[in-house]
Amino acid sequence: MNWIGKLFGRQDKGPAVPLAADRQAALDAWRQLPPADMTRSHYRSRYAVVDVEASGLNMKQDRLISIGALAVVDGIIDFHDAFEVVLRQDTVSTDANILIHGIGGSAQREGVEPADALLAFLDWLGKSPLVAYHALFDQTMIDRALRQYLGIELGLPWIDLAWVMPDLFRDLNNNQSGLDDWLTIFGIDNIQRHNAVSDAYATARLLQVALARGLQREAETPASFVELERARRWMRRGG
Amino acid sequence: MSNSATQMLVSATIEFLRRYPPFDRMETEALQFLAERLRLAYYPRDAQILTPEMGVARTFYLLQRGKVLARQAGEVSLVEFASMTLGPGEGFPIGSVTAQRPSTNAYVALEDVFCYELPADDFFRLMQKSTVFNLFCTQYIASLLNQSRQQLQIQFAQRAAEQQTMNSPLASIIKKAPLAVPPGTSIRQVIESMASAHIGSMIVVDENEQPIGIFTQSDVLKRIVLPGTPLDGPIESVMSPAPHALPVSSNAYDAALAMAMHGIRHVLAVDEGGRLRGVVSERDLFTLQRVGLRQIRQTIDTAASIEQLRQASQDVRQLSLNMLAQGVGAEQLTQFISALNDTLTRRVIQLCLDRHDLYGIEWAWLSFGSEGRDEQTFSTDQDNGIVYECTDIMDREQTQLRMLEFARDVNEALDRCGFPLCKGNIMASNPELCLTLEEWEEKFARWIRSPQPQALLNATIFFDFRPLYGRFNLADRLRLSLLRQTRSNGIFMRMMAQNALTVAPPLGKIRDFVTDADPEHPGTIDLKKLGARLFIDAARIFALGHNIAATNTVQRLKLSSSQMNVPADEIGAIIEGFNFIQLLRLRHQHFEQEHGRAGDNYVRPDELNELERRILKEAFRQARKLQQRLRLDYQA
Repeated sequence: MNWIGKLFGRQDKGPAVPLAADRQAALDAWRQLPPADMTRSHYRSRYAVVDVEASGLNMKQDRLISIGALAVVDGIIDFHDAFEVVLRQDTVSTDANILIHGIGGSAQREGVEPADALLAFLDWLGKSPLVAYHALFDQTMIDRALRQYLGIELGLPWIDLAWVMPDLFRDLNNNQSGLDDWLTIFGIDNIQRHNAVSDAYATARLLQVALARGLQREAETPASFVELERARRWMRRGG
Repeated sequence: MSNSATQMLVSATIEFLRRYPPFDRMETEALQFLAERLRLAYYPRDAQILTPEMGVARTFYLLQRGKVLARQAGEVSLVEFASMTLGPGEGFPIGSVTAQRPSTNAYVALEDVFCYELPADDFFRLMQKSTVFNLFCTQYIASLLNQSRQQLQIQFAQRAAEQQTMNSPLASIIKKAPLAVPPGTSIRQVIESMASAHIGSMIVVDENEQPIGIFTQSDVLKRIVLPGTPLDGPIESVMSPAPHALPVSSNAYDAALAMAMHGIRHVLAVDEGGRLRGVVSERDLFTLQRVGLRQIRQTIDTAASIEQLRQASQDVRQLSLNMLAQGVGAEQLTQFISALNDTLTRRVIQLCLDRHDLYGIEWAWLSFGSEGRDEQTFSTDQDNGIVYECTDIMDREQTQLRMLEFARDVNEALDRCGFPLCKGNIMASNPELCLTLEEWEEKFARWIRSPQPQALLNATIFFDFRPLYGRFNLADRLRLSLLRQTRSNGIFMRMMAQNALTVAPPLGKIRDFVTDADPEHPGTIDLKKLGARLFIDAARIFALGHNIAATNTVQRLKLSSSQMNVPADEIGAIIEGFNFIQLLRLRHQHFEQEHGRAGDNYVRPDELNELERRILKEAFRQARKLQQRLRLDYQA
């Protein structure tokens, strides 16, 4: 998986149904945005911390229900630079699933038209690198929805704190690599677990910790975090 | 609000804030305003969050999680102020953000810290929006003033401890257990013990521990060396028998009396069984304070001569000093000094009246300047005058001559009592200041009608008049006519305001203070001219403009503020500022006089500690605020 290849090489296939003109225009405008400079300092960069809720944990089948996101700009969280959307669902997820994220049946049915929801997300996101904990899940859900409703590939770098944190804090004995363990270590409280915004807020504060640590460990840029994650993944695979 | 995500995060922030004062009491709208504007930052352990070097504080920090150490920069005299730890819900730097200056503390993360940040502009808007927050910040600054007062107390505690009264029982004066020997001890042994213990006397006791004799250093020469007494002899052969002893429950007075009556330097203290408990020396008593407040008043009221009053005036100074040491505030202290000086002056006048026949004349003794305002400090010269009434049947010149003769006597007597004659001749013995009520009214009217520079200067001295003795109603009538004239004369009031505004608080743009205003006293600030005066002048104008008869600056400020719709906490802060400057003046004058210098008002900011400098700056800022109001009200 080479994200740079995605960024420059691959052609988007387009959605199953052609987009309306205004949606197409919004999408084009987003595409025109210049890519983020990944070599600037953390403290001159914008990170988009993302958390998604889905109809289940099966990445192959389950659908994206909501996106919660929060920016960390120049190392600081500004509550006004936050995003939340519920995608309209034709089929409401199971009761057990609703109990987890709390987005009820009517809320799911009254959600935003998925293409519009995703365009709004892209508008908020810009070309900022994305950050999540166990990012693969969030990435897969978002990618599939983007392909399905907008017919595009996101083509932006993802940074997974589940890989970055253990590398930055090798001194902490962290066999358990759960988000909650990290939150406990740094005293970060989660307002409402399994709410996308709340989880994103907690993850964003974890990112703040990571940024400060990165500065001390000569991992001072978004690119260095991507590289750090890649190296660790490679080492784990090799070992 | 922009969207549901922001809304949720802001609500969570509000929920957090509500757990801590003053936010728990804050108005809902203001709290919402605050939470919407906070941004969250993270600082790893040991990171510097804010230091003086970062310049003017433009951000207010509010701890969400973790501890921050605030360490005072520069020299610090007391440990407890050197550092303090802040925790969640606590904010900083309140003083520096409010004042838009660099922080005086360095704030360092003691552990991993999440910290909300609020831009200074929003901080000010919040202060405007929320009375709760405003009060919190104002009180915080006021608490700094309290801290400073406590510091002052500690500084003087040592001295205060020494100043026990003469009422203290001997038991409290005795500092160590007495050395005593049996009568058979050899002279050599006694002298050796005295030498090694560095004591001036040895008590000889019998088998019941009852003192039977005393042997002192001075006896060595007369009774041992000169007569050539052998050192092997017993001490009882050379001791003074039957030493003077008092029960330990007697007080210092008794001991002093015994010493004076018997011409001795040591008095023994014994318990109920007559057993030796200690030795009180003349020196022990010497360090004791001679007097208390009641005694001073009594002495003054019953003094039969100027000489006795002279002693009392020294006692007044001593007592004021004790009060300074006990942490009495400047306002009470200056009033107290004024009150005792009033009593003293009244007694001087009474004594002088014995020698003068003023029968048939209605008159009153007036005090001007700082005494007129009840704000005397340790260094005070005379500022006084006389108002009298001259009826048609009296010869005006004759009457004035009688008054002047009397006034001269009083002025001289006051001079002997420690109130130096006024260099500017502002004294009742000056024919220009010993006037009938009509003449005074005319004099005042002239100044008000044509406010030349000299007239304005005069107004700052004489308009603060207060009756001290005689017919007070004469002074009250003068006050009424003065207020009638000033109130209606806009030009005069404006000129007064302009005059007051010619002096600005010595706040530097780059450095904290401007200290080179007076080339003869570089590095200092004249706290009278550039400090207290700013408050005094403004208060006088407000009083004259709002029909307020009070002459005391604090009272004038309090009374006029309610008429001018100034909030109580704002005027409170201004008064605190004035009082702090007065406190520094008192302390400085006392220090100067203790070192044999005339007590001036030139204070070196460099010699103040960090906390005091901060408060002094704040005090000057309050003066500036007062001047701004003056400028606004009188378009000066």
